[in-house]
Amino acid sequence: MTTDQRARSISVHLVLIAYSLLAVGPILLVVMNSFKVRSAIFGSPLALPDASTFSLVGYEKVFRSSHILTYYSNSLIVTLVSMALVLLFGAMAAWALTEYRFRGSTALALFLSIGIMVPIRLGSVAILNMMRSAGLNDTLTALILVYVAQGLPMSIFILSEFIQQIPKDLRDAARCDGVPETRIFFEVVAPLLRPAIATVAVFTIVPIWNDLWFPLILTSSDSTHTVTLGVQQFLGQYITDWNSVLAALSMAILPVVVIYVILSRQLIAGLTSGAVK
Amino acid sequence: MANLRIEQLNKRYGATTVLNNVNLSIEDGEFVVLVGPSGCGKSTLLRMIAGLDGASGGDIHIAGKLVNALAPAERGIAMVFQSYALYPHMNVRKNMTFGLKFTGVPPTERERRVAEAARMLRLEELLERYPRDLSGGQRQRVAIGRAIVREPAVFLFDEPLSNLDAALRVSTRVEIANLHRLLKSTIVYVTHDQVEAMTLADRIVVMNKGRIEQVGKPLDLYYEPANLFVAGFIGSPAMNFFEAEVEGIEGGRARVAGTAFRNLDIPAGSLKVGDALTVGVRPEHLVRGEAGFFAAEGVVELVERLGEASFAYLRRVDGRMFVAEVRGRQTPAPGEAATLVAASPDVHVFDASGLRVAT
Amino acid sequence: MPEPVSNITVQMPRAKRAGLLLFFLGPAVAIYSLFSIYPLVATMALSTYTSDPSGARSFVGLANFETLLGDALWSKPFWNALRNNLIFFAVHMCVQNPIGIALAGLLSLRGVRLKGFYRTVMFLPTMLSVVIVGFSWNLILSPLWGVAAGALKAVGLGSLFAPWLGLESSALVTLSLISVWQFVGIPLMLIYAALLNIPEELIDAARVDGLGQFRIFFHIKLPLVLPTISLVSVLTFVANFNAFDLIYSVKGALAGPNFTTDILGTFFYRTFFGNQLQLGNPTMGAAVATVMFFIILLGLCLYLFLVQRRIRRYAF
Repeated sequence: MTTDQRARSISVHLVLIAYSLLAVGPILLVVMNSFKVRSAIFGSPLALPDASTFSLVGYEKVFRSSHILTYYSNSLIVTLVSMALVLLFGAMAAWALTEYRFRGSTALALFLSIGIMVPIRLGSVAILNMMRSAGLNDTLTALILVYVAQGLPMSIFILSEFIQQIPKDLRDAARCDGVPETRIFFEVVAPLLRPAIATVAVFTIVPIWNDLWFPLILTSSDSTHTVTLGVQQFLGQYITDWNSVLAALSMAILPVVVIYVILSRQLIAGLTSGAVK
Repeated sequence: MANLRIEQLNKRYGATTVLNNVNLSIEDGEFVVLVGPSGCGKSTLLRMIAGLDGASGGDIHIAGKLVNALAPAERGIAMVFQSYALYPHMNVRKNMTFGLKFTGVPPTERERRVAEAARMLRLEELLERYPRDLSGGQRQRVAIGRAIVREPAVFLFDEPLSNLDAALRVSTRVEIANLHRLLKSTIVYVTHDQVEAMTLADRIVVMNKGRIEQVGKPLDLYYEPANLFVAGFIGSPAMNFFEAEVEGIEGGRARVAGTAFRNLDIPAGSLKVGDALTVGVRPEHLVRGEAGFFAAEGVVELVERLGEASFAYLRRVDGRMFVAEVRGRQTPAPGEAATLVAASPDVHVFDASGLRVAT
Repeated sequence: MPEPVSNITVQMPRAKRAGLLLFFLGPAVAIYSLFSIYPLVATMALSTYTSDPSGARSFVGLANFETLLGDALWSKPFWNALRNNLIFFAVHMCVQNPIGIALAGLLSLRGVRLKGFYRTVMFLPTMLSVVIVGFSWNLILSPLWGVAAGALKAVGLGSLFAPWLGLESSALVTLSLISVWQFVGIPLMLIYAALLNIPEELIDAARVDGLGQFRIFFHIKLPLVLPTISLVSVLTFVANFNAFDLIYSVKGALAGPNFTTDILGTFFYRTFFGNQLQLGNPTMGAAVATVMFFIILLGLCLYLFLVQRRIRRYAF
């Protein structure tokens, strides 16, 4: 490499490293300090916890005073069930829209794509009324229904693109063999949609897990709270208890980060492949 | 214009050597074609001349100047890419003048060059159009025009005809040959198609696995290939090869024998009894006959009739196939046995390492 | 939507076709219509009613909107929220997107090592919950903890520090920047993917033409990813006007100090659910939601008709 090129390469890396520090710094700071005693948090915030400053007091408090494990299981249930339904119903709808010619298919497609752009929150007034009258108020089911409705348009859009790329010959061959349409979908097409799952997952899971609005509006009792809402309320309550606050934040951060780091390649591939369209 | 001198050029990617001590000298105004199979290093060599990739070792001189450390734009080169690489968001005129703006060419001069190139390539009516509205052949001409306006010392072409259909390939090939005559420019042209190489080149450079196998005028390579690789690469259909060995040496002549052909004898040179050899004869040099310097027998299995010339595929005594060209309307029928003969200038013998042996 | 692929349904008997379509489309369309479209329509309908303390509803036409936009009691906070939302959006457009574009440009350069590492790290904040982000930054910027103050002092800018989140003049911009910090990952990823799509030969041609890296970025790469940039802008617009979570978790429903961080989302929440200062008012809340819907619709239409038409997507 010429010196010119080397200098350029170094400056590029400098900028990238600087931004990376900015991106990750605050998170590291919070997690690091959650393991320290109060005096060390204030005294030397940038130092790693060592033998004298290490403490789990904040974590103990979080476990004692809040039902963080319940929140986790609620979030998991809501997110996983919503994603499963979004994938299933979305794939079925995407299949019918891209494969079958029928009157009104374009209109229906347009109708479904409205939801991509228009936020569902605006209808919260009516949603709350509906849930109350259906007796679903304060249930996880309410959340699931809302999130599925929210996630369907985008997933139908993404899955349509994937289905388009499945070779036509496969479906025609099955039809020549006399296989009924439903079986063609479930046994021929659906297995080929596996790469799409990553893309749909990125656009679905993250917004659902991190959502504050609908749990706030639709759930009132502690046992139905999700992690996001639970942590938010815990933070509001113990705002001066720095150990607990940092511990709660870390507990909310760490699972997400761990899963993200493990799956980052697939997630980013999903985001870049689906979004370029 | 300029000459191009490449000395001891090599390129390594980690442990793999892609170019191995390549030496080449190209005269001013020459049309040199780099040809070879995929992976032979011809495109790598072209990119290094252009300055798009750096060398691991060696020197490149363009117009007498050492250009190793210079950026592509400073080397006095212009390149025509396989996929044309036209800027989609600019019209034809802008595509051609874009680079000139950044190398300090004044507007009036830019206009003049574009008009001149457009006239040469019949692009006058297309100047305001965008690449998406042009056919493949038209896009290629624009790409060539973009190179011409740079008035470079050396033109570099990277498989420019590969993306065109067959008919267009022939007409564009003719255009490129005409351009060369008009501009008298130095051209380095990369292709994997040996027909393009034979028809366009003043000299051909045959490359294989990062090395130069032979450099020479097209017909020299055709009639006197220096080694087995070049013999098998140039010419379509490929040369027929027969395994052989030296059976005996008497009075300065060696007797060459093989299972699939009748013995022939060549000057002994430095050959020894038992040396393995390969005998090669081109399909177009084989004629039906009773006897000749070279003779091989076979049974016709398939005849491909292409009009005036046909190719007969015969199965020979050792079970392999060989091909002979047949001219005229009368062609042998499958199942016929035939003897094919060739004269001594048309017979090539190569030793165990692939090098030519005098006949 | 692309053209349907096969004509097999055209030949089917009507009953069979109806059954098939119902099976595949039914669940999705039902849930979507019921929980996405119907509530929106119902909300808009509700906004034409008013309710009195007893809960009885009476039709008042567009009166709620007149009140919202004209009556000082409602319109002042409304216009304030709208203005703040625009500032929020402006900060994102001026800071988030250029940074995202610049980082994407750097990452897409040939020969940058550790690309995967940088990408993973830079996208990390986007994965986090807004609650976490809001609170963490709240702590970091807090004068009590002193981390931010200390960092500034270390580079000699100690005098610049102020409790930005607590000051009326800077709270909104600070919150906007925190949101930018979190969401730079989105334009970064989308534009990075679009840049990767540009064929390498085009960049080579530009190098042969004499362009340096900067010029290549501005004259070749940027124009070719313009469609993606405009898509990112629209997404930013919709997301910003839908924003709520960050303000709520850092400042609560009252969006202090003194409503300087109030945006349409928090205004809507407060109007609908009420808080210690006012009772919840479902019909006015519905009116606010309807107005928000039309603002977003307006933005989308402007995008579709002004921008989408002019921008060409280049196929390579």
